[in-house]
Formats: sequence, structure tokens, C-alpha cells
Amino acid sequence: MKTIKQVLGGDLRQYTMVLALAVLIIVFNVISGGRMLTPSNFQNLLSGNAYVLILALGMLMVIVIGQIDLSVGSVAGFSGMVMALAARDYNLPWWLAVLLALAIGAVVGAWNGFFVAKLGIPGFITTLGSWMMFRGLVIWISQSISVPAPEELRFFGAGYLPEWGPTFTGMNNSTLVLGLIGIVCFAYFQLKNHKRQGEIAGGVQDPMWAVVTRIVLVSALIGYFTWLYGSGRAGTSFPIPGLILLILIIIYHTLTQRTTFGRHVYAVGGNKNAAALSGVNVSRTYFLTFMNMSMLAAVAGILFVGRATAAGPADGTSWEMDAIASVFIGGAAVSGGVGTIIATMVGGLVMAVLNNGLMLMGVGSDKTQVIKGLVLLAAVAFDVYNKSAGRPSIIGRLFGSGEEKKEG
Amino acid sequence: MMRKRKLFLSMLMAASLSVFTLAGCGGSREGSSSSTESATNTAEETADETDAAEEEGDAAEETAAGEGFEADATIGISLPWLGTQNWKEAQDMFTEQLEAEGFTALVQAADQKVPQQQQQIESMIQNGAKVIVVGPVDGTQLGSVLEEAKDAGVYVLGYDRLIENTDAVDGVVQFGSVRTGELQGQALLDGLKAEKGDGPYNIELFGGGPADPNAPNFFTGAMSVLQPEIDAGNLVVVSGQTDFTQCATEDWDNSKAQKRMDSLLAGNYSDKQIDGVLSPNDGIGRAIITACEDAGQDIPVVTGLDAENESVEWVWQGKQYCTVAKPTQDLVAKTVEIIKSLQAGEGMPAYEVKTNNGKIDVPIYELDPVVVTKDNAQEVFANDPDRLELLK
Repeated sequence: MKTIKQVLGGDLRQYTMVLALAVLIIVFNVISGGRMLTPSNFQNLLSGNAYVLILALGMLMVIVIGQIDLSVGSVAGFSGMVMALAARDYNLPWWLAVLLALAIGAVVGAWNGFFVAKLGIPGFITTLGSWMMFRGLVIWISQSISVPAPEELRFFGAGYLPEWGPTFTGMNNSTLVLGLIGIVCFAYFQLKNHKRQGEIAGGVQDPMWAVVTRIVLVSALIGYFTWLYGSGRAGTSFPIPGLILLILIIIYHTLTQRTTFGRHVYAVGGNKNAAALSGVNVSRTYFLTFMNMSMLAAVAGILFVGRATAAGPADGTSWEMDAIASVFIGGAAVSGGVGTIIATMVGGLVMAVLNNGLMLMGVGSDKTQVIKGLVLLAAVAFDVYNKSAGRPSIIGRLFGSGEEKKEG
Repeated sequence: MMRKRKLFLSMLMAASLSVFTLAGCGGSREGSSSSTESATNTAEETADETDAAEEEGDAAEETAAGEGFEADATIGISLPWLGTQNWKEAQDMFTEQLEAEGFTALVQAADQKVPQQQQQIESMIQNGAKVIVVGPVDGTQLGSVLEEAKDAGVYVLGYDRLIENTDAVDGVVQFGSVRTGELQGQALLDGLKAEKGDGPYNIELFGGGPADPNAPNFFTGAMSVLQPEIDAGNLVVVSGQTDFTQCATEDWDNSKAQKRMDSLLAGNYSDKQIDGVLSPNDGIGRAIITACEDAGQDIPVVTGLDAENESVEWVWQGKQYCTVAKPTQDLVAKTVEIIKSLQAGEGMPAYEVKTNNGKIDVPIYELDPVVVTKDNAQEVFANDPDRLELLK
């Protein structure tokens, strides 16, 4: 058990959801007779859920600062609709229309941010207002009729990486390269980290064999998914929306974990007054977080319209709820200050896999909804229970370590 | 240290190699999906033949294509939601009739959410469906997934609503939507003459959900009958709202229609009687009647659509003047007929009309709806024991 712990690298709680996700995928794969783990299904899983996961990235930061943004769905729908209308009625080239949509996201974000940061109105109220406003505006400007989007946007919403190079690899070579980059980067950072641990005096250095085993295991996993995504029907690969999501995940993971702004976000969420006293500009942090959220909402809207091939008057309806659910399943605290990008993505994927798996089994959307609701509640209850009682998680119990007790 | 570094490097290489090894396990790309390969090829050939046939422009030629599929193949049915009776009926009938024909029916409803429907269609492709029948939530927003279906060699049929903005659709089964509107308009005129004495009559107009491509067609059809009478002064739209966008009811939501009727009555009918209202479906029709009752008006002549149970009762009681039945039975039967033809390898049956969907001209299999008033209700529902039960 200690061996496994060393390989995983100490903090076991974060693996609970990953484990749940893996179990879900395997169970659904068995029940559905192998239809879950197929290239096309996983391609669909990513391109069909990228918009929610992108919203969840921004939502995590909003929730970490102790706020909530209810307007993201409406803003996504509105920016997507403006983009489609601008391209159709004003003959804007597609890239200009995309920039316009992003600019709208930024402006809306500044609007929300202004009321929250400068006037001190709770985010819930501010964004409830924006939610209504932009839902109304979408219907108003579209006159409730769907608007076809420029063809080029298909690439962002449902496109694939190019095919090139030798065929003996048996898969899409772009995906292969992507997978290799992933493995090399992972190994590089693991080794760098290991070296740094060794240099810190008195620091605990994981044994080399554990680091190497970790690298091999993760490489095998990345390798498997590279193969899964790359070996689909010719012309398909790791999907473009997935790639956009991946890039955003890296950016936001770095932003929240490695920058001053990121630390300010957690500081403000943890204790606003203490943060202010230590020199953190609280209102600036609020403003930027809300602005960022709405820009990501615009990105989500663009991707969705690209995949749907048209912007519809009902786009974005209740997307905010899916994003919020992902964040909380990922273990963020309702009171703010706690939560990570990676865990949120895992939370979002749990929802997506659940949805996908139940659909593959032919379960109706009514029952799916009930199950998703229960999972959300169970995940959060499990988390809160563990924290309040200072108990180790199920995983912690399994490994019988004393480490979790300190965290409580 | 040097030694250790060498170790890392070798581990790294091993890791990278594992990717290739894993790739090797899957064999060639085509091999990994060998089970669907033959089906895809067949479908591509089918598509080619169909294209060729279409170029010749001979309807008889177009029907001769395809090699069919297994008699117990999976058929995917994706419905927009189950919130109105006709969709619930469609769900039951499809399940029943497809199973009776020996197919495996996979019927799902999308809760009025486009992303949900997209994912459901994808899961049907994953489940190996040979035909996917789609009653779209929004007919313009399924382009990518339907093209995915086409690439996988799946036939795509539109059900009840046109599928727009994509070339990945083989045909649409629906009731003539402009024709439905004409019948509604004519029924409104007939009703006014029968129940409200001599004109001119005060009327108001309601349209359906604008995201549904049928809704503007209903309205256009109805207006083709009503507009001449409005111009002649026999009909007066007191509010002056005669534009589809003014009259539309977002999402076919009854409560929104009721609110609009409330405000129309409050604003325009404080000293007038309302004689008739054009309603695009039964739910909205009942909302309109309720609003009129609440405002203390005599019940106007109200049209409808779908022959929902409650409205059938209201027609029978004389509260709602008429409804238009689009027997779900007929629609499902026609769809199943097409599926059987595809299964037997006879391709898409002959059709009479094509409609442009923004990308291609889609074959439309049109059925004729039936106006139901108190006078002919028993006749129309003679073969429908459930509804006949209501006429008592």
C-alpha cells in the first residue's frame, strides 16, 4: 500500500474522483458491450462537452473567489448569436466575427465585474440580472430564428487535426505527435520536480523508482488515449475543440497555481479581509475573474455554434448549471477558497461520461437527469462529510495512512 | 548521476515506444473498425448511386438503390421531448411498431435541449443504428452530428420537422405544414360564420415556436386564407399584430401565449368582443380560451392542432371550436414503411415534393392533416378507441 502511495505521489484525496471516473468508464464499457471505449465515442465525448468544460474553467475561479456567475449560458448564447448574425448580415469574415464575439464576452465581463467589484453587489444578483438581459437579447436580435454560422467555424467546433506522414503508425500522426509531446512534457516536469525536491535542504524526495514508475504508468495512459483518439476512422483524430480545451487547461492551471494573480484568487476566496490586509487588491481580483469568465463563455458559445453549424435562440439555456455542477463535483468549496482546475475537469468529465454512458445504454433523459442530480449531491456530501469530521476519505482509509488526519 | 540519467532516457524511450506498441495492437486504422467497414462501404455506394440517380432526375430511378441491412437492425429514434401528447404517442408507437417489425428500437427524447439531442444521436451511431429518425429540437443545429451519421453509413430521416442547413438528410416525413396552416385559417373562417353571426369579426393571431421550422409555415398557410378577408374588412385584427415575429410563441410555451393573450385583451378589448383567435396548436388554444374566460369575454372561435385529449374534450363540449388532427399513427406508419423499404434494399421510396433546406433539396413525404370539429369528431376518431372514449 505504501508502495502505491509513493507512486501516486502522496496526496491521495485528489485521486478519489479520478478513480471514480475510471471505474465509471470501465463499468459503462462493460455494460454497453465495448461501445464506450471506442475512438468515435471518445471523440464525441470531448467535442460534445468541450463547451461545458470551458465554462467550468472560468466558473472554478469565480467559485474560488466565493462568488457565482449565473449569466454564462446567456452570454455564450448571445456572443454566438452576434457572431452568426455579423457574419451573415454584415458579411464580416469569420475570424472578425469570432473576434467580435470574444470582444462581447470581454465587455459583458467588464459589466458584471463593475457591479460586483466596484459597487459591491453580490455576484449572484448581478449575474441574475445579466442572465435575464442576455437571454432576452439573444431572442431579440435573432427574432427567435436560428442563424446559420460560417462554414469555417465547423473546424473549431467539430474539426480534426490534419492527416499527414507515414501510414505505418496506423493512426493519425498529428494525434501521435500530440501524445508524444504529452509524454515528454510529463516526464520532463516529473524529473525536474524530483531534482528540485532533492535540492531543497530537508525536503522529502520521492524515491527514484517511484518517479520512474509514475512516468511509465502515466505514459502508458497517455499512450492508450493517443491510440484511442488516433486510431478512429481515417480523417478523424483528437478533436480540435479538445485541443482548444487542453491548451486552456494548461493556461488556467498555470495561472491559478503558478502566478501572483492565481494566489490572489485563492487568498480572496479563503479570507477576503485577510487578503485585503495583506495587500491584495480584492476588487481588481473580482473584476478580472468575472471578466475572464464571460470571455470563456464567449469561447464556449463559439465552439458550440461551430459544432451545431448554426446559432439558435435557445443556445446556452442552463449551461451555467452544468458548469457549476462540474466545479462542485470536482471538490470546490461552496464557501470559496478551495478547488483546482484539474479536479474541476475531472468533475466535468464524470458528468459527461455519466451522460454518455447512460445514453449508450438507452436510458432516457428523464432518468439520466435524476441520476446526475444524485451524483452531484453524493459527491458534495461525501466531500463535506469528510472535511467536517476530519476523517480520511475512503481512499485514505484504504491506504491506512495517518497523513489525511493532519489535513482535517 | 550520469548512470541515472541514462536510466531516465531509456525509460523515456520505453515509454514512447509503448505508444507505438499500443498502436500496433490495434492494427491498421481500417482494421480497428472492421465491423462497421463493410456497412460504411455499402452506404457510400448507396450514396453514390443515389447521387447518380438524382442527376438523371427521374423519380423512379432514385428509388432503386441500396443493399439493405439486417432485419433486426437497430433503429434510432431521437425525439425533441415528451412534453406534449403527440411526442409521447410517437415514442410508444415507434417502440411498438418497430419491435413488431423485428427491429431493435432505440427511442430517446432530448428534453428540448440541442446539445442533449446531438449527444443522443451520436450514441445511436455508436450503438450501430442503421437508420436514425430525428424529430429535431432545432432543425438547423444538427449539421455536424448528422454528417457523422452519414459518414458512418446511417440513413437519416427527418420526422415531423424539416432538418435544415445540412446535406446529411435522406428525407423528411411530415404533415404538409403550409397545408395545415391553410386548414386552420379556413376552419377559423368557417367557425366565425357558424357561431358568431355576421361580420366583421374581431380576431387575433398566434404563431408557434419560431425555432420550429413548421411554425412560420403554419402561419403563412393560415394567412394565405385570412389575409384576403382582412384586406376586405371582413376580419379585423384589433391589436394590429399580424407579423409572424409579433405573433410567435417562444418554445410553443402555453404560459407565454396566455400572457400575451391577457395583455392583448387588457389593451384592446375593454369595450369590444373578441370573436376568433388563430391558434397554432391545442395547448396554446386552451391557454387563449382560459385567458378569454378570465377576462370575462365570451369564448371566441379558437383553432388548434394535434388533437390532444383535453382539446378533443373541449371540442366535444363546444369550448374550443376545432382542432386539426395530425394522426401520429399515420406519421409513424409512413416512417416505418420507409425504414422497411431501406431494410429490404429498395432505397428511399418515391416522393412528390422536395424542399430546399438551405443546402440541398430534401425529399418530403407529405401527409394530409384532418380538421376535427364537434360535427365530425366521432368519424375521425372511429379507429382511435382512446380518443373515442373522450367523446361522451
